[in-house]
Amino acid sequence: MFFFKFTKIDFRCFRRCSVYGIEAINAYNGWAMALAGALIVMCGLAVLSFVISKLHIVVDLMEKRKQDSPDASLAIPSASSKPALTAEHDLSNLESSVACYYTETAKLGKTFTLQDLFAVFRECDFPHPHLTIRSLKEKGLLIPAGEGLFTWKG
Amino acid sequence: MELLIQFLSNTGYYLADYRHVIMLCVACVFLYLAIAKEYEPLLLLPIGFGIIVGNVPFFKGFGLGIYEPNSVLHYLYFGVTTGIYPSIVFLGLGAMTDFSSLLLRPKLMLLGAAAQMGIYFTLLSALALGFMPKEAASIAIIGGADGPTSIFLTAKLAPHLIGPIAIAAYSYMALIPIIQPPIMRLLTTKKERLIRMPEDERTVSRKELLIFPVIGVILCCFLAPASIPLLGTFFFGNILRVSGVVDRLAKTASSAIIDTATIFLGFTVGASTQADVFLTPKSVGIFALGAIAFSIATASGVLFAKILNLFSKSKINPLLGAAGVSAVPGSAREVHLVGQHEDPGNYLLMHAMACNSSGVIGSAICAGILWSFMV
Repeated sequence: MFFFKFTKIDFRCFRRCSVYGIEAINAYNGWAMALAGALIVMCGLAVLSFVISKLHIVVDLMEKRKQDSPDASLAIPSASSKPALTAEHDLSNLESSVACYYTETAKLGKTFTLQDLFAVFRECDFPHPHLTIRSLKEKGLLIPAGEGLFTWKG
Repeated sequence: MELLIQFLSNTGYYLADYRHVIMLCVACVFLYLAIAKEYEPLLLLPIGFGIIVGNVPFFKGFGLGIYEPNSVLHYLYFGVTTGIYPSIVFLGLGAMTDFSSLLLRPKLMLLGAAAQMGIYFTLLSALALGFMPKEAASIAIIGGADGPTSIFLTAKLAPHLIGPIAIAAYSYMALIPIIQPPIMRLLTTKKERLIRMPEDERTVSRKELLIFPVIGVILCCFLAPASIPLLGTFFFGNILRVSGVVDRLAKTASSAIIDTATIFLGFTVGASTQADVFLTPKSVGIFALGAIAFSIATASGVLFAKILNLFSKSKINPLLGAAGVSAVPGSAREVHLVGQHEDPGNYLLMHAMACNSSGVIGSAICAGILWSFMV
């Protein structure tokens, strides 16, 4: 069995500071620290937020410049170049476009994730890849194959 | 016989007093919350068991205790007192964080900034209660709802308070499902809670994900250089993840490294929470201020969102403000659940994660600012 020892409570801990309340805040420049700190963090994150909001514009501009550069225009089109955009890729005519999508996504195999499908659509410059995938799902042309994978209907 | 009596007088049974019993009960509560209720088990389990180990009475001078030099626990505790473990945890956090949701919705970063007001309100409250400035700053950072940040700053400014502050910070993080929802409901109307956030019109490109950690570390660390140990490793971990060329390093940072640091951090913080340090009126004050800090942080995020809605055409669901605290992903989950409770078709999770991610950055910046004020 253990023996209990009763110790005195040390009241010295109450006497840690001789000022309290507003007087203490004034004595330690509390208002200035709180105000300055709040302003600094708000401004810092506001600036970061602004920079982030413009980031995708800068990135798109860089990509566009790369495409418009003389080197890009002199490039010899390869056999596996991206297919031209045609009226077949119209969202309102998905059924006729499915064969085209199927051909381009053949390399993904029978089942694939939506992320891989999206990457292929972007590579092939299909318009509105996000909306296209959503429409394909809604029309039942893209069906779940379990475990997060999808496959073409039929 | 004399030998036996001497041995018995050196046992924990002989040296224990009521304070050790109280701490062992506190430890058991933490273990119960972690295992049975699954409240933040990754944190509460090591801390709870550490409290048990740290409160076993022993004869001082044998080099056994965490505060005795040359003891094993003391060497493990070195990572806490020097701020090494929090930096390593932030490395792993960065390697696990996906900033896509934040990059798609940069405006929500302001909610993360607003939620840090809880820190400064608590700073004033702690000063008013008579805490010294460095102690007050260490207590105030609890409002950032970030355990590693709290431990990091306390280790630098008020190492004698690491135990109670860490326990308070992690306890309140575990109690987020209890603390935040009532505040969210109190400060918002039903109509506001039903606001649906707009769908994303674009996807985040790989280049954006690569550029963000570089810009983030430059902008944030230039502003508050004292946050380098936290934000430097955080953004480093993130660029390891998004670069795609160092998958091995990213996987290690997000698994083995962060798990190892979490184990030792929790265990040694728990072991440092000994009865004579923890069972003091100061600890009661710290716990009370910690509750205030969390509540004010939640409230300020929600209220800022409501203020933004006054000036913005596209309305933000004010619940998202509560996710501006740094408790990832607990507070984002709670915001999503409260939103779902009102409208099952309202998916706020990814938007809340944007605010959460920004809260991590905001709380680390606040820690850097407070440290630089106190030095």
